[in-house]
Amino acid sequence: MLNYIFQILIDLFHYLFLVYTVSSIAFYLILTAISELETREYKRKNSYVNYKEIMSSSKSPSISIIAPAYNESLNIVENVRSLLSNHYVNYDVIIVNDGSKDDSLEKLISVYNLVPVDLLINEQIPTMPLRHGVFKSTNPAFEKLIVVDKENGGKSDALNTGLNISTSEFVACIDVDCLLLEDSLQKMIKPFLESTDKIVIAAGGVIRISNSCIVKDGKLHDVNFPTKLLEQGQILEYIRAFLLGRMAWSRLNGLLVISGAFGLFDKKLALKVGGYDRNTVGEDMELVVRMRGYMEEQKIDYRVAYIPDPLCWTEAPDSYKIFISQRNRWTRGTIETLKKHRNIGFNSKYNLLGMLSYPYWFFYERMAPIIEFVGIIYFGILIITDKIRWDYAFSFIILAYLFTVVFSLIALITEETTYNQYKKKGTGVKLVKIAFLEPFVIHPFVLYAAIKGNIDYYFNKKKKWGEMTRKGMTKA
Amino acid sequence: MSIYHDLIDYLKESPLIIQILWIMTGLFIIIIIFLIFRLRSLRKGLRSKGRTIALYEKKYEAYLLNYLYSESDEEISASQKVIISQLKKSTKDPFIRKILLSLLVKLKQEVSGEISDSVQRLYFQIGLVDYAVARLYHKKWYVIAKGIRELNQFQVKAAHDDVMMHINHPRREVRKEMQLYMVNLFHAEGLNFLAQLEMQLSEWDQIQLLRVLQQLENQENLNIKSWLKSNNHSIVCFALKLAEIYSDIESIDEILKLLHHIEQRIRVESIRVLSVLNAVQAKYILKADIESRSTEEQIAFFAMMENLFDVSDESFISAYVDHPVFEIKVSALKILKVINRAKFDALKTESTDPHFLRIITFIEKN
Repeated sequence: MLNYIFQILIDLFHYLFLVYTVSSIAFYLILTAISELETREYKRKNSYVNYKEIMSSSKSPSISIIAPAYNESLNIVENVRSLLSNHYVNYDVIIVNDGSKDDSLEKLISVYNLVPVDLLINEQIPTMPLRHGVFKSTNPAFEKLIVVDKENGGKSDALNTGLNISTSEFVACIDVDCLLLEDSLQKMIKPFLESTDKIVIAAGGVIRISNSCIVKDGKLHDVNFPTKLLEQGQILEYIRAFLLGRMAWSRLNGLLVISGAFGLFDKKLALKVGGYDRNTVGEDMELVVRMRGYMEEQKIDYRVAYIPDPLCWTEAPDSYKIFISQRNRWTRGTIETLKKHRNIGFNSKYNLLGMLSYPYWFFYERMAPIIEFVGIIYFGILIITDKIRWDYAFSFIILAYLFTVVFSLIALITEETTYNQYKKKGTGVKLVKIAFLEPFVIHPFVLYAAIKGNIDYYFNKKKKWGEMTRKGMTKA
Repeated sequence: MSIYHDLIDYLKESPLIIQILWIMTGLFIIIIIFLIFRLRSLRKGLRSKGRTIALYEKKYEAYLLNYLYSESDEEISASQKVIISQLKKSTKDPFIRKILLSLLVKLKQEVSGEISDSVQRLYFQIGLVDYAVARLYHKKWYVIAKGIRELNQFQVKAAHDDVMMHINHPRREVRKEMQLYMVNLFHAEGLNFLAQLEMQLSEWDQIQLLRVLQQLENQENLNIKSWLKSNNHSIVCFALKLAEIYSDIESIDEILKLLHHIEQRIRVESIRVLSVLNAVQAKYILKADIESRSTEEQIAFFAMMENLFDVSDESFISAYVDHPVFEIKVSALKILKVINRAKFDALKTESTDPHFLRIITFIEKN
């Protein structure tokens, strides 16, 4: 009898795995098809838009770029120069020096001729107090620059300080080391201004990896494909995630995450929902989920927009240690957000957000590494107990591998037919090579980081942000 | 051969699921090979397309320059006629037509005066205008939009009616191109399409129309008053922007009526515009019912009061110095500082709230 029950449980286990695998493949295929349609539509819609037209208008809505900085002394001057070179007409740049221990502030004061200014701040969100205060430049060339020096409180706290200080209608929250293209703000603001039937609450853009790219005068000068497999693998991963995954979720209006590296928000709404949560390391995702939840509760038609143009270039980890630390944080951020907003999940009151986006993220993002890990353990047990059916195992593994390669190749083709950023001769071969190697050079580490993230979340609550060592972009 | 036979035998003897898995594996391998070749041909194709375009651009650029700079006593010289006929033949090929068109657009943007007129003439002579007009009747929205844009770039006023029929096209991209065509070519008069517009005029559309209008020398004949009465709320918003930009004092009475509009966005915008227009009447209307208005309207009203206050407003303003809304409190304090400095100074000693004192200190200094 016991054996019988055990056998039923094992069979059930097998079927659950099968259902999970088949459903995840089905999801990927559906998302890929939707992405292809959406990308094509987007390209068509924007192929002849003259973005220069809007940036020259005095009626363009105001945007504040908020960039938190912590110990960014190495590149801060160049990074700020890059942010100040945007072509949008009505914007300012708020650099929040979040209690840096290095000489970031001194460098900014000296290069940009900063002087302390008296500013009346409406502290709608509680934040850590100011340290040396608020600075503005005496040089009219840098009139758009505001530097805030405050006590250390983490990225969310720094962004909230920026939200309190900003007087603009929209806020672009970015990582200070990000290189924004000159027309990035025009492209990001477009969906907010274009929509007449729904309120656009936030917009996210594609993040591209700048490792090995050449930067001149704060502008992207030459796009190169890096030599390290880890960096190449991340490029492929980003193309896959941003061009296939997020594009499809955007079409479905089910986007749950806007990358912390670059996102544009309706400031009034961001403030209304309480700004960034200081108690999570996944503040970017958490804010979007909270804003969406609020809109659903208020029964207001809304949309989270997504721009597939490569608008923001950022440095990706070039060592496995930093890479694992980053992915560990992403995992903890996802767990924290989904846990905090568990009332949304499977709740028809939240419509698509509750019935599709949340369940998808729960099963195929949050649970995926755990299910994969359990699968590996079970596979190991079967090997040890000599109960493995090698013919089944082998064919399943091969098929899973080939599916990953197919998916990556489709992403690469989408990239070629749309933005074609890696034009140089010889890069095509490297891209195909990394599509085959990525499951070995990236995926095992992603899995390891995710499992470690789960362990850290449940057993090491003190762990917050990991370290990210900046090398700086290659200058021409 | 024996390996092949062994594999076939193995598959035949395997359970059905294994057979399916291996068939799928084979299928995936074929798909991968196809995708790799597709990627290769795409990359190669894009590179060779770039080269071909550059080659054609060079060839047709030479034709165009020859045409534009050939001198003759006649209206069209013999050599120009030859070029026209050659270009006319070339435009039959859609690929070359596209290249020619982009060259003409580029040229038109770079030159001015007689040369610009010649480019314009050439556009008609080689028949490109016919292709553009034909596009307006295409099934696909993006073809129509590109057609209108082209007619706009080459200032083809004769296509007015063909373009106008797309005024309420379901795609906003087509509508936007149609609107820009009208304003670019027919200036203030072009805005008459607003009377027939049933769809919403997005903020994006409005900003672009304003940009074009602001570049025009003659801004008379703007029918702002009638647009302020429109049932289409987006047109009312647009008219408010126009009233603000052109300081249209004649519209004040109509804007005052909008203070009671059903849409909050319009009421707030009206308060803002009336403030810019220094419409003191608005102050009295709003003072009477400010408590029943939304926070956004109240904030806009107090911003207006900073511009339109007088000494008689003291008692009214004093009631708001403790208002829970930051913006209202700050505005009220700023006004009080000017109207009655002694009363403002007294607030410092009366209050112990650090936030309130911080605001007072800031206003005192600035």
